[in-house]
Amino acid sequence: MSHTRTYLPAVVLFVAAIVVWELFVQLFDIQQFLLPAPSVIGRAFADNFGRLVSIGWFTTKEALGGLLIGCTAGIGVALITARWTIASETMMPFAIAANSVPILAFAPIVNNWFGVDNPLSKMVIVAVIVFFPMMINTVRGLTLVDANALEMMRSFATSDFRIVWHLRIPNAMPYIFNAFKVVVPLSMIGAVVSEYFGGNRSALGIFITQEAAQFRFANAWAGIIIACIVGITLYAVVLVAERLIIPWHSSVRKQTT
Amino acid sequence: MEAVPVVSFDNVDKIFNRGGADETVALKSINLDIRPSEFISIIGPSGCGKSTLLRLVGDLIAPSAGTVTVNGKEAHQARLDHDYGMVFQQPVLFDWRTIQRNVELPLEVYGFDKAERQQRARELLQMVELGGFENHRPWQLSGGMQQRVSIARALATAPKLLLMDEPFGALDEMTRERMNMELHAIWRQTDTTVIFVTHSISEAVFLSNRVIVMSARPGRIMQIVDIDLPIPRGEHTRQDPALFEAERAVREWLRKAEAFSA
Repeated sequence: MSHTRTYLPAVVLFVAAIVVWELFVQLFDIQQFLLPAPSVIGRAFADNFGRLVSIGWFTTKEALGGLLIGCTAGIGVALITARWTIASETMMPFAIAANSVPILAFAPIVNNWFGVDNPLSKMVIVAVIVFFPMMINTVRGLTLVDANALEMMRSFATSDFRIVWHLRIPNAMPYIFNAFKVVVPLSMIGAVVSEYFGGNRSALGIFITQEAAQFRFANAWAGIIIACIVGITLYAVVLVAERLIIPWHSSVRKQTT
Repeated sequence: MEAVPVVSFDNVDKIFNRGGADETVALKSINLDIRPSEFISIIGPSGCGKSTLLRLVGDLIAPSAGTVTVNGKEAHQARLDHDYGMVFQQPVLFDWRTIQRNVELPLEVYGFDKAERQQRARELLQMVELGGFENHRPWQLSGGMQQRVSIARALATAPKLLLMDEPFGALDEMTRERMNMELHAIWRQTDTTVIFVTHSISEAVFLSNRVIVMSARPGRIMQIVDIDLPIPRGEHTRQDPALFEAERAVREWLRKAEAFSA
């Protein structure tokens, strides 16, 4: 019951937007190449469903691979440097600066390094995009620890490792989940857009560019929908994982208690 | 026969930012012996270094001059030997742990086996009258209950010395009085030496054998007031004219301390 009440407005809004879009295209007789009607996109989606799923999966694997590499590296570097506060503090400005570099601009160069057809070239782009937000957030989570809690651990005369394990890592978990919420949609964007610079024919980004080049805009839109579905699904996975892994955190517990 | 003091200050100075523009002499020439099983309160105007004194005992900071001895050894060694438990102004409970596992934390850190630490934590939660709350989370408890959990945690290793830094400062008057009763009972039950920092005269007098009145800037021991109220203390103590007499004495010394500081 309460679920219906929470989600109903969103569903109504979504349906209404689709209806308005459809009517807008029909009534003003908008050209296909400018904006196809939802019904047309839906048909293109259904007609190409098998192909869309397979190319969608191809690109999703690139995004996931990049996420795996980038997040592991980001969390790993944060864990290693958090042990030496000075090291992470010296590194932070560089990390923040590096984070503002438009990494996608490197896609053609990375394609050249690993080979245009090699999914690894896309994974590397995604990994680099994902690395900095993940690292910066994790460092914050590991270092922004309640001073009282640190003092208490000190009163226990315990090792730095135990302080990291019992206090810093749990403290960092909400920050890491926030980073995941930022980074998961970025990974899909990174994978699709770096494919725009060339790649395997069975990739989503290539499909979208080629269909658009051949004026099959409804197909291109269908490709975008697949990208959206994947992005939203991955985001939902993060939300579920957050509820399962840190049910104690204030951002989660309001919904569960 | 004079027993070996649990805590001993020998000519201790504490200076923060020594040599800097904002050099602060927090404590000056502190000499003090605390006897076994004693309940001793430290009271004084804000900024008099009472928390600093406590943190020196806990080796959370080091003295600038002089020595602090705990159980006959250097404060640093005493900390490494887990000789004391500490209760802070804030309960400092971990939201990611249940109440039970918060109490278990020091035992887990020290490598006690699981069955033993669970057993111990359950007993302690009974003692602070929180039996039945084992699986609750910190945020589900009131401030007073949270502070009781932190007392249970400080007692987990059955230390002979308990350091308490204004533990009830954030509680309302009624809760505080109830907590005082409970703390008194725990103190009698565990035979622990307690050093208790507070800014409440009534709390200090009700709980203590001796009240140390400090002056500020630099923090010095102004006077040590003996509280000769019979033990155990309870509701009847609150009606005792001797209590008012003791409170009056402490208040007078506090006034002098404040005049001295200003």
